[in-house]
Amino acid sequence: MSEQETVYKIIGKATPRIDGPAKVTGKMQYTSDIMLPGMLYGMVLRSPHAHAEIISIDTAEAEALGAVCLTYADINPIVYNERSVSIPAATYRDRTVLPAKARHFGEPIAAVAAASEELAYQALQLLKVEYKVLPAVFTPQEAMADGAPQLYEQIWLGEEKVAVKNNIGVIRNIEEGDVEAGFAAADRIFEHTFELGRVYHDQLETKGAVCAPEADGSLTVWCTAQSIHANRQLLGRVLGLPLSKINVKKLPLGGAFGSSIQVNTVTPICACLALKAGRPVKLISSREEDFYSHQKYPSVFEVKLGVAGEGRFTAAQVKCLVDFGAHQVQPLPYMGCVAGWFASLYRYGPLRFLGTAVYTNKVPCCAMQGYGNPQINFAIESMVDIICEEMGWDSVEFRLKNHRGVGDEFWGQGPTIRSIIKSCGVPESLTKGGEIFAWKERRPHTEKSGRYRKGIGVARGFHTSGTGGPKEGEVIDYSSCMVKINEDGSVDLISALMDHGGGTWDAMAKIVSQTLQVPMRMIGLSPTDTRNTGYDVCTHATRGVYCGGAAVLYVTNKVKEKLLEYAGRILFEHPAALEIICDEELGQGVIFAKNYHQKSITIGEVAKIAQINSWGTIAYTDSYRQRNCPPCFTTHFLEVEVDTLTGEITVPKALLYGDCGTVINPVLIDGQLIGSFNRGLGYTVYESLDVDQKTGELTNKGLLVDYKTPTAAEMPAAENVLVHWTDTYEPSGPFGAKGIGEAALASVQAALANAVYNAIGIRFAKLPITPEVVLAALRAIDN
Amino acid sequence: MAKQEIKLTVNGKIYHLEVAPNEILLNILRDKLFLTGSKYGCGIGECGACTILAGGRSYLSCLIPAVAADGWEITTIEGLAKGEELTPLQQAFIDEGAIQCGFCTPGMVMTATALLNENPDPDEEYIKDYLRGNHCRCTGYIAIVKAVQAAAEKQRQG
Amino acid sequence: MNTRIIPVNYNYLAPTTLAEALTVLADKPRVKILAGGTDLIVKLKTGVDIPLEYLMDIKRIEELKLPKYCQRGLFIGPLATLSQLEKDPDLQKHYPALAEALRAMAAVSVRNMATMAGNLCNASPVADTAGPAICYGAQLKLENITNHRIIKAEDFFTGPQTNVMTPQEILTEIFLPQPLANCGGAFRKKTRVKADIAKISATAVLAREGNIITHCRIAMGSIAAVPLFLGELSAGLIGQEMSPDLRREAGRKAAETIKPIDDNRTTAGYRTAIAGLLVEEVLAAAWQRAGGEL
Repeated sequence: MSEQETVYKIIGKATPRIDGPAKVTGKMQYTSDIMLPGMLYGMVLRSPHAHAEIISIDTAEAEALGAVCLTYADINPIVYNERSVSIPAATYRDRTVLPAKARHFGEPIAAVAAASEELAYQALQLLKVEYKVLPAVFTPQEAMADGAPQLYEQIWLGEEKVAVKNNIGVIRNIEEGDVEAGFAAADRIFEHTFELGRVYHDQLETKGAVCAPEADGSLTVWCTAQSIHANRQLLGRVLGLPLSKINVKKLPLGGAFGSSIQVNTVTPICACLALKAGRPVKLISSREEDFYSHQKYPSVFEVKLGVAGEGRFTAAQVKCLVDFGAHQVQPLPYMGCVAGWFASLYRYGPLRFLGTAVYTNKVPCCAMQGYGNPQINFAIESMVDIICEEMGWDSVEFRLKNHRGVGDEFWGQGPTIRSIIKSCGVPESLTKGGEIFAWKERRPHTEKSGRYRKGIGVARGFHTSGTGGPKEGEVIDYSSCMVKINEDGSVDLISALMDHGGGTWDAMAKIVSQTLQVPMRMIGLSPTDTRNTGYDVCTHATRGVYCGGAAVLYVTNKVKEKLLEYAGRILFEHPAALEIICDEELGQGVIFAKNYHQKSITIGEVAKIAQINSWGTIAYTDSYRQRNCPPCFTTHFLEVEVDTLTGEITVPKALLYGDCGTVINPVLIDGQLIGSFNRGLGYTVYESLDVDQKTGELTNKGLLVDYKTPTAAEMPAAENVLVHWTDTYEPSGPFGAKGIGEAALASVQAALANAVYNAIGIRFAKLPITPEVVLAALRAIDN
Repeated sequence: MAKQEIKLTVNGKIYHLEVAPNEILLNILRDKLFLTGSKYGCGIGECGACTILAGGRSYLSCLIPAVAADGWEITTIEGLAKGEELTPLQQAFIDEGAIQCGFCTPGMVMTATALLNENPDPDEEYIKDYLRGNHCRCTGYIAIVKAVQAAAEKQRQG
Repeated sequence: MNTRIIPVNYNYLAPTTLAEALTVLADKPRVKILAGGTDLIVKLKTGVDIPLEYLMDIKRIEELKLPKYCQRGLFIGPLATLSQLEKDPDLQKHYPALAEALRAMAAVSVRNMATMAGNLCNASPVADTAGPAICYGAQLKLENITNHRIIKAEDFFTGPQTNVMTPQEILTEIFLPQPLANCGGAFRKKTRVKADIAKISATAVLAREGNIITHCRIAMGSIAAVPLFLGELSAGLIGQEMSPDLRREAGRKAAETIKPIDDNRTTAGYRTAIAGLLVEEVLAAAWQRAGGEL
């Protein structure tokens, strides 16, 4: 074995998930698995009207049944926004724990707690609510019309009261450069409108909470959360308790996809019920309730792009209209982010973004894998295809020529969070991907005939890795952690960073393992809560590895300094003259004098000596903010087959090309890319949420039977799902790593739509592209 | 609506329970027997998160009134491994990266266990078809298919 | 509605003999029969208004269990699960359209629980086994405490979720007569994803002599208020020579006959648009299974 090969390298290795055994044996405890002695079960009464004043709620009969009841009269009417990722000054606030007025069908109106869910349900039926039903609006056009029913008279922005006019919640316009001059210089101007409807996260675990009042007046909370600290801070405000009296426990999440970035609506309700009852309360949403809690932002884009004959852009403009529903879950940063994803795709020259987000009497929208990125990507990457088709350009070449890459500016979280791109896998993924997929041999749709027609489509996308930046912006981003070397050489990692299933915790353990040269099995991921951890903004924005990992690396390096200092004392060597090499058999990191390996000591021995000599524990804790927001890139080459007699679309072959910088765990990267492809297939071909235009009720009533997501049976053959990643290194990332999670979805939709065009010559500008839509379009051509 | 006594054998242990006629087997397993591995996902038999085995076959515990299961011998996800020793299928789920959030995993493993009971040598199409009632929103299923294939291979080799 | 629980109360009965069960039905009001539960429990959870005082679980009645094949045909007990039937070699051999329908239903765990009798009694216009039952000339035996009657499958359904049964009756036997010689059958359905109830389904069972159709029954699902027997169309094909044109024409006529609606699964327009194609496909597949050439 050469010396190189003996070096312990865990980064990049496929390692089994640390939580694997717990998850395959059913022992992993999620929120809904928490049980406490004397626990009551909570249940929520939901509005049967899309818009109605609540005149009164009579709880007498429910209380006679023994139920604890919670209504607007019981809650602290503090007005808040469930999401707290952006700074307060950029956050509109419009909601309370329970409302005085129902603003969407299915909105929580009251809640009860009883000895069983069955009893709680009975109690709900006994609540007598008097409503004054108001006219409702279900489209932005209706909502913005003069004289339309108003959801709000006024809301709050930061600490300022602001009036709401025509139900417009947010206007966000951004302009850079002389856009009109850019369009004037264009040889051709292309204009198209794209529409993406509402879809639903469908994370397997429904949102829920268990809250337990403690003897010391504090409250312990287990809940579905992407940030335990965000939950604690909001609960503190709502309950009027010092944060030291609220402890939110870190738990695994049964999927999230953005659905728990904000504090879930049921969590404060559960907390209030528990305090009123003086007993632990468990409140787990049914699936149908979950459908009514949050959905993905829909968007309509009017896109205008100017191009010059030599194959470049001259100017770009996007008008964006968003129907975000009955409450703001930060659509202001959403609009900024959409502008940023748009701006960062290509070097357009001057650009303009005109965004309007509107209240409607529908379920509130929140982030869902990509925070607007898959939406705007579908529009722009479809446009690129349209332009290249019209202009006779090769769209891969065009993308190679015009994409934003190394040295260009990237907007990682809207206009206020920007950094310079330092690593970029776009050229490699487009070029090599094109070779693998025989892009150059692609035939135009005009040469295709017969019932089943195949087509190939490409699209490229990205997402940010975190929301850090050289300057403070309107988004908060930092993580905290503590790393502690135990007296046997094992290591505890204590952090509030959440793992939704993507394997973030494994990545953190690997970073510690690599840095301290301690075998993975000796790294302990400590169960933590808000009391024993520093603030972590949230696992969102594909920031887990890049930002959370950077914090872990930063702290671990500090611990390593201390460790080597102590080792130096023991070995009579300068710390700089020492190195650590993992001895996997021994289960220890071993500290050697460089170039003189006869002199050595294990980490465990150092820690033990430090203890015996009263030098102290070898530990460090701190917070860390990344100063960059590097894009992680993806390219999708997808083949579709369209049945022209039924309109059905299948995907025989998919190439998923990712650029995540250094790969921390190849198995998990595959999982991110393939999982996202599956969800993108759902978004593009299968999924949509509609409301009854009279009642505002979801047409599927929140039942999964009428919300179909692609299953194993809808996936391509395993051998035809090709996953590749680029050879890139992000200088600002831990061990050169960036993120991948949300990027993995960004370009699936456009690649599918472009492939469908290549198969049948029809451009679909609205999702989903269902068999019904395809067949109608095919018939329209025939006629 | 009087409660009735039922007898359940779960993972080899016998339980005598008093249940109301409208109590669901899934909730009894979770709330009374503290076997929380079986999950609620949709409540209407669409997602498979609540899958259990009886007689080696898969059933949806969210659609079974507990009284109707009187006398049944049930295996839940907690009953597959022998102590620390995982079944080849459980191990394959870990090895192939077939787990992400893990919430669908118990149901998925139970259905896949029933699959291997029925067909020790399944091809990909058979696996995908067999698992079509088990939703996983994270993995995109390919790793799950590979895990079932790997476990089948291992079982065949004994 | 709350799908975490069964949000209604009822008494539970589990008779062990048919006589006992029929007595319950004769004596007690608002009894619902529980077999597989995959329709009924979902309805109870999702708030479908079902008058219910007694839930009568018939799964403990041994005499209602197994499928039995004999020279006259196949007797299917009401407790035979979809999985059991789907794996039954006699059923696979003699009633391939039914086997196809069974395999196309839901997913394996549901098929392990659900019964064909339940699928029929639930009387959904979508019921996948209804088309094959109709096309194979199934006879349904309905019993009450005093007597029984035999109903043809095509006469069983009266509207969405309604059938000819009285509250005192149990469907105790589904009988599929022995198919004719040179007979073939096929079932197709279109769904959103593979594990799904149908947007539309079609079944054809036909027999031939040479190139001439000598027997033909076509049925469709999810395109009218009941699973629909296309009697006139079927009769019109008998005596004709099989050809692509004939199939196309049959498909066109079928599309004109049906009365579909819009629902959560698809639109009336889409159902009409692909109805003909589905009928063409089942005719072709059934013909091939009858030994005919295309």
